[in-house]
Amino acid sequence: MFRSVVPRALPRAVRPSAVSRSTFCAPNIYFQGRSRRGYASEAEEKDLVIIGGGVAGYVAAIKAGQSGLKVACIEKRGALGGTCLNVGCIPSKSLLNNSHLYHQILHDTKHRGIEVGEVKINLQAMMQAKDTSVAGLTKGVEFLFKKNNVEYIKGTGAFQDEHTIAVNLIDGGETTVRGKNILIATGSEATPFPGLTIDEKKVITSTGAIAMTEVPKKMVVIGGGIIGLEMGSVWSRLGSEVTVVEFLGQIGGPGMDAEVAKQTQKILAKQGMKFKLNTKVTKGDMEGETVTINTEAAKGGKEETLDADVVLCAIGRRPYTNGLGLENIGLETDDRGRLIIDQEYRTKIQHIRAIGDVTFGPMLAHKAEEEAVAAIEYLTKGYGHVNYGAIPSVMYTHPEVAWVGQSEEELKSAGVKYKVGSFPFSANSRAKTNLDTLGFVKMLSDAETDRILGIHIVGPNAGEMIAEGVLAIEYGASSEDIARTSHAHPTLSEAFKEAAMATYDKAIHY
Amino acid sequence: MASIAAACRLSARAATQQLRNHGPRRAFHAGQTSLGAQNFNMPALSPTMTEGNIANWRVKEGDSFVAGDVLLEIETDKAQMDVEAQDDGILAKIIQGDGSKAVQVGSRIAVTAEPGDDLSSLEIPAENKSAPSQDQAPKEQPKQESAPTPKKETKPASSSGGSKASVGKARKQTYPLYPSVQHLLKEAGLPKEEADKIPATGPNGRLLKGDVLAYVGKIEESYASELANRLKKLSHLDLSNIKAAAPKEKVPEKPAVEAKKTAIPEPPVELALPISLQAVYDCQKRVQESIGVFLPVSTFIARAAELANDDLPRSQISKPSADELFNAVLGLDKISGKSSRGSFVPQVTALPPASLRPAPTVKKSDILDLLAGKKAAATKAHVSSGATKVVGPLNVFSVSVPRGDERRGRVFLERVKSVLEAEPGRLVV
Repeated sequence: MFRSVVPRALPRAVRPSAVSRSTFCAPNIYFQGRSRRGYASEAEEKDLVIIGGGVAGYVAAIKAGQSGLKVACIEKRGALGGTCLNVGCIPSKSLLNNSHLYHQILHDTKHRGIEVGEVKINLQAMMQAKDTSVAGLTKGVEFLFKKNNVEYIKGTGAFQDEHTIAVNLIDGGETTVRGKNILIATGSEATPFPGLTIDEKKVITSTGAIAMTEVPKKMVVIGGGIIGLEMGSVWSRLGSEVTVVEFLGQIGGPGMDAEVAKQTQKILAKQGMKFKLNTKVTKGDMEGETVTINTEAAKGGKEETLDADVVLCAIGRRPYTNGLGLENIGLETDDRGRLIIDQEYRTKIQHIRAIGDVTFGPMLAHKAEEEAVAAIEYLTKGYGHVNYGAIPSVMYTHPEVAWVGQSEEELKSAGVKYKVGSFPFSANSRAKTNLDTLGFVKMLSDAETDRILGIHIVGPNAGEMIAEGVLAIEYGASSEDIARTSHAHPTLSEAFKEAAMATYDKAIHY
Repeated sequence: MASIAAACRLSARAATQQLRNHGPRRAFHAGQTSLGAQNFNMPALSPTMTEGNIANWRVKEGDSFVAGDVLLEIETDKAQMDVEAQDDGILAKIIQGDGSKAVQVGSRIAVTAEPGDDLSSLEIPAENKSAPSQDQAPKEQPKQESAPTPKKETKPASSSGGSKASVGKARKQTYPLYPSVQHLLKEAGLPKEEADKIPATGPNGRLLKGDVLAYVGKIEESYASELANRLKKLSHLDLSNIKAAAPKEKVPEKPAVEAKKTAIPEPPVELALPISLQAVYDCQKRVQESIGVFLPVSTFIARAAELANDDLPRSQISKPSADELFNAVLGLDKISGKSSRGSFVPQVTALPPASLRPAPTVKKSDILDLLAGKKAAATKAHVSSGATKVVGPLNVFSVSVPRGDERRGRVFLERVKSVLEAEPGRLVV
């Protein structure tokens, strides 16, 4: 019965067996084909392989994914986001914010009319809060990878040849990826101090400084740059006796305006940090319970010995290219280890580019981010743009310090005639009501054209306020343009406007 | 006397020329669709440049571009430079193609249109010969201000584009003027339109306070552009004195990145399965006999489809949602399972008698075709063997699924089949 019906109903199924097989097998062939293609695509050449999943690498990967490139990103840390997200900007901001809150409750709330009972620090919980923020953010990046079809390879990459990268996978095993284009974004590492071995317990870098298990009694910070001052601030607020040793005559590192640096030093000193400027560390001794640091005046003479439970080494960072196999493809670095590139981030091998800390320019996450987008646009559109003259720098102490453009010293040495206008937060209504009046806004504009050349802020919320300055410089604005733009009252940003007024004319409230 | 006559003739000729120049332009202003058509003239990339070669166009005819896109590369005896678009638009026509040699500055090299313009109905404006002289000597403009003609003529020339290299050129200010600029113009008693004639040194040709100051003579004329050049240097990475010896020659050729292929949507696959509706008819009859309600077959089918759509295997091709991706990152995807609800609606066709049906020719896919990347003809119904136990009126249920998602569709059809053939009674309970 069945047979008699089926031929009628389903002629194809009972036609000569060869045909019927072909109808049946067709989907199977199709699937086989697909799966085979799937394997093939793994060995297949990617449009772009990125080495490093830090800010430069992950932004480039996402941008490339969005542009429709087949992209893989190799990261060996096991978490995306690089130094910035894992052991840099982000965790330090968590500690800075929370330690500031603690410090404020301890010293500042009483005269605001808030009386608090016993205040205790639970360092473990504070670290936990930091780790939660970090984990959330790194997972967020991983999610963005998935969303934008970026293949995430967990492992250590090394050049095998100009197109092939061997990856030593974290979970064991090895693989290789081939890329039509390759982007090196391996970032940087803390420069160790010669003579001190970093054990991240007694002699630490910024990585150890965000993961200490107890508050050290005495801490010496070698290097009074942004990292040193931020981490010094954290532990000083939590109760350490912090001494900053800086070789140069000012804190804040290069680029910070001298007037701003001086004011900042004064404020931080008032908060309890000690500064030894123009001082060179000659020797360190890690034997015994504590670390002994020998210093002498930079210009010779006057020796001194400092004793500390923990020494934070923050003398700068250097590009990280260890184990990348640059020698296999003959790529060169300059005398400071930076990969040599042209204006389009290409190394001498045209399809290999380098961006971020591993190459030239300031070692800033937002600079790396700009470069990542530009590098991908060079790849896909043949044109990209980063304005290196308008990259802000921010130090997240309290008060914050932020600047963009040139400092007064730089303008002087370039022989440019300029006008200065500044406005103190002590004359700003909002700062007054907040009882947070330390600092000022300083604006430098061209003496002839009034075009803004540099903006330097030390004061509450300087890091947010500098965005307006960056925009002004990006658009070639004059101080008059800012002064003639309405700023809400009462806000701290009025100080910004008044500084602009002071630059081209006169401030109203000062 | 003769000289006067000659002068008269000259002026007459000039007048007719004006007329000739204006006739077509007025016509093009009148046409609504062609409002945006503009001549794109050879830009001067340096003050001394008089002519150049067009290396190649980076935008094709008919393609649209946005401000900042590189339109073409121009070679001069000194250098090769990119010319960027200042505004968004469409490249309507290329008049001087790739490799054109010795193109005079100011002569028309292309016609651009506004974004969204219909190119087919676009009128190509006449070449605007007088434009270059306007462009090169913007300083003389203000004195001739009373004459209405030159004012009109600057418009297409200056708004049609320009180049990165032309720091300090007067151009139409398309953005709101900066507060300081507005203020200075007012102070100097200059009309707002005058702003278009002031050489602008700001980023992307924006007019800055310093430019107006220079224009009205309050500061050194060249100072603003000197400052602009100095700041421009700062805006690039300083790669000038790298210590390690490294060759830094610029290679103009960009790494070849394949343009994103426009994916041709693959035709959906038709899946079909014959299903006997005998059980449904029986059930229908039973229901009518027992409770006197007539349930149409379509109700059975709809309910069966509803049931079958539940918990289908995950689509192979659909993109996971943001939540799913985030769950995957957090490792929660294993818990939530791998199924999702489908939205198939089966098409039902009664099978025609076999005798009337021509034997379908199944074209086997040729291995050569596969190797050559040809897609086998896609929409072909793969009818699998149907009714195994039940005999009755056979109908072919079919769904069309996107290529790559056949499994999902097959599971759906099989479920419909099992429900309708085995226990249609469940559907009415």
